[in-house]
This record gives sequence, C-alpha cells and structure tokens, in this order.
Amino acid sequence: MSGQILWGIMPYIVLTIFIGGHIYRYQHDQFGWTAKSSELLEKKKLAAGSTLFHWGLLCVVGGHVMGILIPEGVYASLGISEHMYHKMAIGAGLPAGIAACTGLVILTYRRLFDKRIRKTSSPSDILTLLLLLFMMLSGVAATFLNIDSKGFDYRTTVGPWFREIVLFRPDASLMESVPLWFKFHIVIGYVVFILWPFTRLVHVFSLPLKYLTRSYVVYRKRS
Amino acid sequence: MKKKKRSPLFRRLNYFSPIEHHSNKHSQTTREDRDWENVYRNRWQYDKVVRSTHGVNCTGSCSWNIYVKNGIVTWEGQNLNYPSTGPDMPDFEPRGCPRGASFSWYIYSPLRVKYPYVRGVLINLWREALQTHQNPLEAWKSIVENPEKAKSYKQARGKGGFVRAEWPEVLKLISASLLYTVMKYGPDRNVGFSPIPAMSMISHASGSRFMSLIGGPMLSFYDWYADLPPASPQIWGDQTDVPESSDWYNSGYIITWGSNVPLTRTPDAHFLAEARYKGAKVISISPDFAESSKFADDWLSIRQGTDGALAMAMGHVILQEFYVNQETERFIEYAKQYTDFPFLVTLSKENGVYTAGRFLHAKDIGRKTKHDQWKPAVWDEQTSSFAIPQGTMGSRWDGQQKWNLHMIDEETGEPIEPRLSVLGIEDEIGTVRIPYFSNDGNKVLERDLPIKKMNLNGEETYITTVFDLILANYGVNRGIGERSAVSYDDPEPFTPAWQEQMTGIKKEAVVKIAREFAQNAIDTDGRSMIIVGAGINHWFNSDTIYRAVLNLVLLVGAQGVNGGGWAHYVGQEKLRPAEGWQTIATAKDWEGVPKLQNGTSFFYFATDQWRYEDQPISDLASPIAASSRYKHHADYNVLAARLGWLPSYPTFNQNGIDLYKEAEKAGAATPEDVGAYVASQLQEKKLKFAIEDPDNEVNFPRNLFVWRANLISSSGKGHEYFLKHLLGTTNGLMNDDSDSIRPEEIKWREQAPEGKLDLLINLDFRMAGTALYSDIVLPAATWYEKHDLSSTDMHPFIHPFAPAISAPWESKSDWDIFKALSKAVSDLAEEVDMEPVKEVVATPLLHDTMQELAQPFGKINDWSKGECEAIPGKTMPNIQVVERDYKHIFHKMTALGPNVALKPSGTKGMSWSIADEYESLKQRLGEITSDSVAKGCPNISEAKQAAEAILTLSSTSNGKVAVKAWESLENITNLKLKDLAEEREEECFTFEQITAQPKTVITSPAFTGSEKGGRRYSPFTTNVEKLIPWRTLTGRQSYYVDHELMMEFGETMATFKPILQHRPFLSKRPDQEGKEIVLNYLTPHNKWSVHSMYFDSLPMLTLFRGGPTVWMNKDDAEDTDIKDNDWIECFNRNGVVVARAVLSHRIPKGMAFMHHAQDRHINVPGTKLTNNRGGTHNSPTRIHVKPTQMIGGYAQLSYGFNYYGPTGNQRDLNVVIRKLKEVDWLED
Repeated sequence: MSGQILWGIMPYIVLTIFIGGHIYRYQHDQFGWTAKSSELLEKKKLAAGSTLFHWGLLCVVGGHVMGILIPEGVYASLGISEHMYHKMAIGAGLPAGIAACTGLVILTYRRLFDKRIRKTSSPSDILTLLLLLFMMLSGVAATFLNIDSKGFDYRTTVGPWFREIVLFRPDASLMESVPLWFKFHIVIGYVVFILWPFTRLVHVFSLPLKYLTRSYVVYRKRS
Repeated sequence: MKKKKRSPLFRRLNYFSPIEHHSNKHSQTTREDRDWENVYRNRWQYDKVVRSTHGVNCTGSCSWNIYVKNGIVTWEGQNLNYPSTGPDMPDFEPRGCPRGASFSWYIYSPLRVKYPYVRGVLINLWREALQTHQNPLEAWKSIVENPEKAKSYKQARGKGGFVRAEWPEVLKLISASLLYTVMKYGPDRNVGFSPIPAMSMISHASGSRFMSLIGGPMLSFYDWYADLPPASPQIWGDQTDVPESSDWYNSGYIITWGSNVPLTRTPDAHFLAEARYKGAKVISISPDFAESSKFADDWLSIRQGTDGALAMAMGHVILQEFYVNQETERFIEYAKQYTDFPFLVTLSKENGVYTAGRFLHAKDIGRKTKHDQWKPAVWDEQTSSFAIPQGTMGSRWDGQQKWNLHMIDEETGEPIEPRLSVLGIEDEIGTVRIPYFSNDGNKVLERDLPIKKMNLNGEETYITTVFDLILANYGVNRGIGERSAVSYDDPEPFTPAWQEQMTGIKKEAVVKIAREFAQNAIDTDGRSMIIVGAGINHWFNSDTIYRAVLNLVLLVGAQGVNGGGWAHYVGQEKLRPAEGWQTIATAKDWEGVPKLQNGTSFFYFATDQWRYEDQPISDLASPIAASSRYKHHADYNVLAARLGWLPSYPTFNQNGIDLYKEAEKAGAATPEDVGAYVASQLQEKKLKFAIEDPDNEVNFPRNLFVWRANLISSSGKGHEYFLKHLLGTTNGLMNDDSDSIRPEEIKWREQAPEGKLDLLINLDFRMAGTALYSDIVLPAATWYEKHDLSSTDMHPFIHPFAPAISAPWESKSDWDIFKALSKAVSDLAEEVDMEPVKEVVATPLLHDTMQELAQPFGKINDWSKGECEAIPGKTMPNIQVVERDYKHIFHKMTALGPNVALKPSGTKGMSWSIADEYESLKQRLGEITSDSVAKGCPNISEAKQAAEAILTLSSTSNGKVAVKAWESLENITNLKLKDLAEEREEECFTFEQITAQPKTVITSPAFTGSEKGGRRYSPFTTNVEKLIPWRTLTGRQSYYVDHELMMEFGETMATFKPILQHRPFLSKRPDQEGKEIVLNYLTPHNKWSVHSMYFDSLPMLTLFRGGPTVWMNKDDAEDTDIKDNDWIECFNRNGVVVARAVLSHRIPKGMAFMHHAQDRHINVPGTKLTNNRGGTHNSPTRIHVKPTQMIGGYAQLSYGFNYYGPTGNQRDLNVVIRKLKEVDWLED
C-alpha cells in the first residue's frame, strides 16, 4: 500500500504542484521570476561553482533522458549492448555528476560562508541549494554503488515506471526491486520538484534562447 | 473602455507569434508583452506635490517639490521657479544639494521619534508621587527635592530606558516641573534653547513665545555656535550683514578665506563658478586643499590660525602703497566719509612715550551739546580747528535729526574738510607704544607718530588721528621719525617678511595679492570681495583675525559696494521678516520684557566649564597694560553681569517674584522704586547675582527645553562637562578642578554639583544625542509636515514650508506642541489656583536703545568696588517689573495680543505704528471669540496664521510697513529714504503668494542693503549711497575701538594674536600606549551632513565610510603607525573620541579634522580610557570665553541677542592621537 502511495499517487501530486505552482507563480509573481543573481556580491567562487554545476547538470539531465525516457529497446535496435550502455553511462555520467556535485559544493559553501552572500540569502535560497546537493549526492552515490556491471538495471525498472506515469498508467510494482539508494534519490527529487516553483529554480524555464537568433535592433510593437 | 488585462501566461504565448524582420534581418519587431514598462512609469507618478524646504541647520531655503503617493512622501525634486536675478545675471536655480535631496528617507527612518517618551525611572516616580500627593506641584517637589530620587533618574540619562507615554500625562509632568520651578526658584530657571530661527522661524517662535510668556530666558546660539563674528559689531555696530550669493557674480576679485563654499554652501557655489567665467580672479586661503581651493587661481596654504598675520601684512602693503607712497583718491575719499580714520584720539604720555587712549569728544573741546560724551571730533582743514561731524552716536539720540553721514559740522552746519592725518600740522613726532602678541612673549613695539598738542580744559592734551595710529600700528614706513625705515623684507611686525615666519606663505605672494586686491578695487570701483568662513572664525581670537581681514575691504573702499566687501557665511543668520517675527517670538504683543540670555555664558556656568580654567587670562593681556584686572575668565563675566553689559539668567540668588514682594514690602510702588530697591540691596550685598555662586542649588537652571537643535553631542562644546555637571550622568571627563585657577568674584564650592537640571526636554523627530540624554522626548513634525517660513542671507526671498503629509504617528509641529504645553500649564495653574504674580526682571543695557549711551568714554566703573553708584539702566542692568498670570498662558499663546496696536513696532532704534495692520489681521485671521483675555484679538492658534501675521507685520514683507519704517528713519536722519520701498508699497506678502512662488523681500531699514529695482543685496549699500550712519560711536566704520577693556587686551586696533597654547594634559595623563602624536583638533563642516541633512541618515552614511572619521596627514599617520581606516583614539583632558582615521595628503601636518556633528549613536566603539563608548566630536573640546566680547553699555559694544557676547569657540585645542589597541563594541 505504501508502495502504491509513494510510487503510484505521489508522482501525480508532485507533478500537479510542479506544474500548477509554476503557472501560479508566473501569473502572480512576474517580478519574482528570477535567477536572483548574486554575481554583484561575489564573482570568483561563483564563476567556478556555477560553471561546473550548470554544465555538469546539463550532462546529467541528458543522461537521465537517455537512461529513463528512451526505452532499452531503442538501444538494442541500434546494436548497443547492455554492457556498452553501462560503460557509456558510467564513463560519461560519473564525471558529469562529479563535476556538478563539485560545483554545487562550491556554491553551497559560498552561500553559507561568504559574508555578503549569506547576509543577502533568503531561507529558500539555502534550502534549494542543500536539497540539490542531497539529490546530486544521492544520485552520484547510487551510480557509484551500481558501478558493478552486473548491477541493477534501472532501464528495466525505473525507466518503465517513469514512462508509465507519463502515459497515466502508473505501475508501482515496477519500483519494488529498486535499491534503496535509487529510491532515496527519487524521493528527494519529489521534494525538489514540489519546492521548485516557489524558489529561484524557476529560472530554468526562462533560458533566453532567443538571444541566439535575434536581430541587432529589436522593436517591440505597441500592444 | 478599460482594456481587459490578459494574464501573463497568456501573453507569453506571443513568444510564438511571427517576428517581422527588416533590413536584412538587422532589426526586428516583436509582439512581446510590454506591461512591465508600466512599473517604471508608475515609479514617477504621484498624487500630490507640495513646495517645501529643509531646515536642519540650513537656511538655504532651496525650493523643493515634495512628491506624495498613497499618503507617503516618496521623493523630492528641485523646484525651479525662483524670483529672477534680472538680466545679465545667472539665476538662482538650480538650487539644492544631495544632502537635502535625501531627506524624505528620514521621515520613515528607524531614527524617527514617533511617540512621546519618558525615561521609565522618572515616569514611575511621577506616578507614585501623584498617588500620594493631591497637588501635582507637591508631587514634583517630592521627587526633585529628594536627593536619592532625583539622582536615580538623572543618573539614568543617556542610558536608554525610555517608555512610551501619553501626551496628556507627559505634558502635565512638564507643567508641574515648570510651575514648581517658577514658584520655588524663579521663572528665569526655566530655559529654552533653539537656534537659528531663520531656518524655520515659526517653530522657533513657538517655543520662544511660550518661554517668554512663562518668564523663561531664551538662549542665544549665534555666539554659542562661534558663528557670530564679534568683529562685525565692533566695526559696524551690526550683527552680521552680508551680500547674497548672487552678488559674487558682480565681483572682480574674490578671496575665499577659511570658507569652503562648494561644500558648505553647495546651492550657491555656482555663482562662484559663474563669476570666474565672467573673469573674476579667485584666491583661496585655506590650510588644507579644500573644495573651494579648486576654484582658485592662487591657493595660499596657510598655517592654521595664523590668518591674522597674513591679513596684517596685506594691510601693511595696501597702506604703504596706496595711502602713503601714492595717495589713491578713491580710497582717501572713502576713508574720510565712511570710516573713523579722520577721527581724533587722545594720547597719554609717560616717560616720554605715548599710549593711545580714547576718542576726543565734544565735551573735551568744550562744545556745549547734548550727549557731548558721545560725539567724537575731527580736525577740519577749512577752519583749522575741531569739528563735530553729524552722524555720531550722540547725534543718533539727541533728537536733532542730524544723524547722517553728511560731512558737515552738527552745530554750525558748515561743510567739513576732515584731515586724515595730523602729519603736516603736527607739533611733534613722538613714539607711540603698540602692543604685540607672540608665543615667544608679548612685547611693546615703539613706532613713530605725528602728534598735535593742544591745551584743552586747562590740560595739555596730545592728539592724533585714527589713521595715524593705524599706520603706526601696521608699521608702515612714512619717512618720519628717527628710526630706520622698514622694508617688506624686514622681519618687523607687520611686514610681508614678518608674516612669512608665522603663516608659511611666501612674502612675494602676499605683496602680489594685496596689490591685486587694491588695484582691482580701483579699477572696478570697489568690487573686491572677501568670503570669510568658519575656518578663521572659530578661534579664540577670531575677532582680531576678522578685524585684520575686514580692514582690507575697508582700506580699498569695497564695503557697501555691490560685488565688494566682506561675505561672512557662518551661521547664515538672516531672518528677513524681522519685526513680525520678534513680536511673536518674544510675546511682545502681551508682556514685552523677554529674557534673552547669551548662550555661551549660560553654558559656561551651567556646565561648570568655568571651574576648569588653567591658563590665566593675564597671559593674554596687553603688554602695555599693567596686567589684566582679573586672572580668571569667569570674573569678567561677573563684571559684565554686574555692570549690565551682558544678560545673566538666572539673575539673582533669589526668586524674582519673591524679590518683588520684598520690594513692595519695603515700600516700592513704581518700577523705578523697585529698581532703586534692587540696586541698594545689591550694593549692600544683601542680594547677589546668581552668577557669583553658580554652584549653589538655588541658582541652577532647572528645566531646559531644546528644540530644532542637537545640543548634547552636536553643538555642546565641552560635551563631557555637560554630561557631568549639567546632566549628572556617566561621563568621560579626563581631568578634575583640583589645580585650576580660582576666581575672585565667584564663590568656590569644593564639591562641584552634578545633575543641575531637573528636566531636559527635547522636541525632535530624530532619536539623536539630545533626545537620548533627555528625560522627556516629544515627537516633532518634520519639514514636510508643517507650515513654516524660511529665509537666509544667501538669497533675498522668503520661502514657505508646507505640509505634504500630516504629522504621522503621534508627532506634532513645534507650534502645536508648545500650544498644547501652554494649555497644560494654564490648566495646571487653574488646578492649583495660582495667583497672578509680579516679577523683577533685570535686562542688560541694549544696543539700539538709549542705553547704549550708558557708560561714556568706555570707562569701566564698578559700583561694587565703590567706583560709582549702582543705577539701574546706567551702571548696572535695567530693572523692570513684569506681571504674569499663568492661567492665561494658553490664551495669550494663541492670540496676537493688543500691544501690537497699542505700542510702536520697530527695530534697530526706529519705531512706527502698525495699528492698521493689526486691524487687517483681525479680519484675515479671525478674532478670538471665547471669553478670555484674548477676546477680540487676531487668532494665531495655527502655525499658518502665525506665519501670515509675521508677513503682515514686517517691513521686508509688507510694503506699507516698509515705507513707515523708512519714514521713521527719515525722521532721525533727515535724509530722503522712502523711495527705496515706495515702488512696492502696495505689496503685502501672504503665505499663499510665497507658496506659489517665493518672493524677494522689500527693501527695509531693518537691513542695510537695497533690493530696489531688482538689485542684488549687498550690505551697507544704503549707508554708502544714502549716507545713513553705521550704528557705531563715530557713526562710521571703525578701525579703532576705544573701550578700556579693549586697551587691557591690546585690541583697540587690528593686530595679530597667535592661537592659544594648549597642552592636552597638565597632569594625570594616561600612560603612553604605542606611538602617539599631538595635533591641533579642528571640527569643520562635514561634507555628507550639516547643513542640510543629518549624519545618521543611511543615504549619507553610505557615501563615506558609514561612521565617525578623523582626517589626518599621511605623514603624521605614518609616524604614529596609523593606517587608513584604522580605529584611533583622540583625547585630551576634556575627553576622548574614537573614530576611524582617514589619511590624506590634503590635510597639512600638525592638524586633525573631525567633521562636526558625527552622531555618537552610529558605530562608535568603546575606549579603555573611559570604559565607555568613545565620545562625540565635542568630547575633546571645551570653550574659552574672551573678556573683550563681554563689553557692554558702550555704543556698538552694547548687548543684543545674538549680536554681541563671548563666542563658544573650541579650536585652540590639541589632542593626542593614537591607534586604538582593541576595538570593543561593548556589546556583551
């Protein structure tokens, strides 16, 4: 029963809060929708930490897409064996995870122990960083513990579970055999996703991709 | 139709709408949402805009628009529509400075006082006392007369513990204290202090009016702040009169001397820049590279405090080259008509050498005329005999209508051709003794002088002219006598070479600038100007410095000329609508004998600084005089009180009310009888002056009101003495009085009192120094919350304050607070059924009244030594009787009393009727209808009504009154004058008018310059052009002041006096700790506070280091191992201040700047020297009072409130500076 709540119902609660929260925030807090840059107050640690974290994270997210969203069958049809996938996942995933973790540690240290940053931090800023740090560490730890090639294959458990959720066919039983480390990682993920819309993390959705293609001179039409 | 607002998310869909590209994709048009732009538009939208201004300590009256949005003051911006300066002139606008522009922050700041506060200890005592006593006065008595209880709340001062109180309760407490003091000790033990009325004159008048009605003295501030230049009364008989800033533009040559115009007069500084564009040459004389130095073509970095030496040398050059070597016609003519140069001075002969004495008067030459002791003589070339020109002090008061500057004999009416010098008709070239002051020992200089011998009244009399004496004084080479000639290169006083040793300025530079200054005056008809400032005015000997400097503008005939003369902007005191304000502020409309006490003397005694004198005043006496009559400074103040020179409140060691009862019992029926009774009691020593025993508890001041001021920490020089003796709380005083000099005239009590004051009551909107040390703090309105008026000498218009918002929280305007207090006092008087009382009031011999003729020849006759009789109003203070009914205080406070119509109005010895204006005020302001003493009087219960009354009753703001005032002066002078105001006779300013646009004042004899036809204000232009005499002994500008005390201190003529030799410690010096240095401690203006904003405001604190700082030279710091931003201790026997060091090559070696009014409640750590928080900028200071500034009863040297009196100077001091070993914030 607890499995059903945790893996069958919770995901939808989390997703509802995540999506609903973003809509609410966007509608009502236009001026709060920001990355809250603190570059003005401290540059050096930010440059190192932020770069490592963001690029590392992009790779990690890519890894998650490859491991969870894309079914194992796709790889098989491309002729990529389980072993090869595993080598790839750990060979690229671990360094990316470590890079992101290192960046995050620097950023957390900076937020907690740099006087000017600490003074200007809200509780949500600190909480966000700590949660991200936990999530990352648990993810990296799970990967480390799973480094053995005969290890647990999340592509047959967590992957399908996640895809079934997206297709509104939740199947909690898929999660039964998943090791604790991975479960822990997912639960922290829940927390992060729930809090996400109410923290600075919303900036993820405001990546100014348009800047890449826009003209030198921009006019805005009168509404 | 209101457009429906789409949700942000929906609008975001525009992201996907197609984008139009143009110009080869170089530009594009998007459909993105633009709603966010409205945020920036709304930022500058407002609901209301109101014209007001600021009044920290600044009378700049820059016009500001105050913007209000949703009931909140959101920002302020410069208003631009000033009255024009006329064609070919730069305009006033832009006016304003970054300090003032940040004020709106303060309204809602955490420093704002929002409610009435009382210290918890006190309110508990009071509530308990009220439980056990029916009568509130008895209740108060049970507290203050119980030493333990009194000590418990006095010791708590400055240590927090405030609790919120209700208005009625706190007003009753104050009233009980006031009335108890009135009955027990005398009304003159309740004292009020509020400075610079011009910066918000209604607020000042509110308390001043209240104090006058309850018989409490008001303290002066101009002298206490050391902003008053005593040289101005000495030379001109005028408090201070200076050109408006736009007149700088008319100048051809400007010397800024110890004045830092861009920093202290920011809104006016543009005129200095514009004058330069027009071609004026600017010289800066300043020890440090001040902001004003960057305007200068030449910067003379002078050793601080030696400015007198430089000025004497410049005078030497001008006299030598433009008076002796080649006579300059313009200068000579000016000197003859407008200065006392041709007047004759008697000499005494002793051992073959001469000493200059007093002026030769009509009485001496046997002329039978009224006031013959007050009419100095000249030598007429036409008749080869004496003549008495018109316009002397005697002719001012003899009713003969001959008080004017026509050079004709007042008796014969024949034109006089006055001789400037007796050289050519002399009987002898004699040797005259000139006093010379130096740190190496004072000495007597012997100089050659042409002397005429006459037999007058059977006595051989030796005479010479002021001009001859001045030449001898300056050491000018005239080619007479036996002594070898002096050249500029001889180090003989007062040559350019001599000054070089003192000032460090090359003699060539001095000669060049003196020549240029004089030549420019010749070429431009006198447009040579000297802007003088606090840098040379805050010294013990500032008056001698000023006289040496001011002589320069007199010598080149620049005074009384637009673009020329002196320009003194220290204190910026010019209350333009003077008579109306005086009427209301002194409650002249009801009782009319205000007690106007000179602040310096009051604080000197009240804070017991007099107990700590260590340098005998005899050291400073003239080497010609045998010695000074006293050793102790304070003895001179007793003399001054006794002889009626200075006011002295508390006056007697007895309640003035009781004194009246005694006199009545002794049979006195009229005020004259009472005066005679008081005089006899004094002579029999049955009655004493309070000042003869200031540490006797019956002579303590009991209640002190402070409003619009920050006395404890900002202006309270001798801060630690204030804390110890006046307030009786923890202090950091680092010496005691065990080996100080003992006075002769004052009773010395071994145990100095601590905690003299029963109540310190502060009205303020900021929780600053004074509030923190007060017993009661009343929340006052800010300048954006009340009706008031502001005016200044920097420009000629009157500016309003208007409420942009109503006073928030429980604050009230000063006017409303004192109104409420007057109600509380009246109610309490009813409650205890207080009978009307009569009180004996002593007033000093006043300038601009007949009393300035009280003590002829400047001879000191002390009745207490049996040298003369004690005659009230003549040889001692004037004695008057005033009746007070405390039940009526409120009615009188809120109504303009009938004396306005019944008695003449006036100022400066002129008087006229304003009965018509009084009638019109009844119509415009409404009459009091309630059944009281005030029934039928114009209603002034609101501040705005009081402002209207002031504008209507003053000659500068009501054309009809101006014409009447000029007619009054015409009657005394027999001159045609009223044309100066006739063109504006129909104008009468109203508050609405000046709110629409500030208005330039109407030319009035209350001041000495003309605004006729849009002319720029410059002082003494009406004297020069219309031949109105100066209010001096000779009626001319004075080079020579012949009072006996001036001779005692060698100051009959300008001279150089070095700064006092001050040792930081005499004994009990704290142990040396690391490297230390001794520096001269100066407290000039701060760039980011004073005048127009407070130091503790966040916007200002962010601009410079956010806390207290002391500037010092980088080499001095290096010698002491102090690095920039290090915490340092500056201390001497007066106290210690802790601040951060600012190291700069801008500051010369040997001095330290601590900008004044750096609030102690902002970032001040503790110091081990006192085990307390490290003091204020005033902790290492104390005042030194100068006897010559106490002279009274003698022509221009007669008392006037803020006109004459010793200054509270504090610059002749040194401090030890060292690095603070441990920064302890005392927070555990």
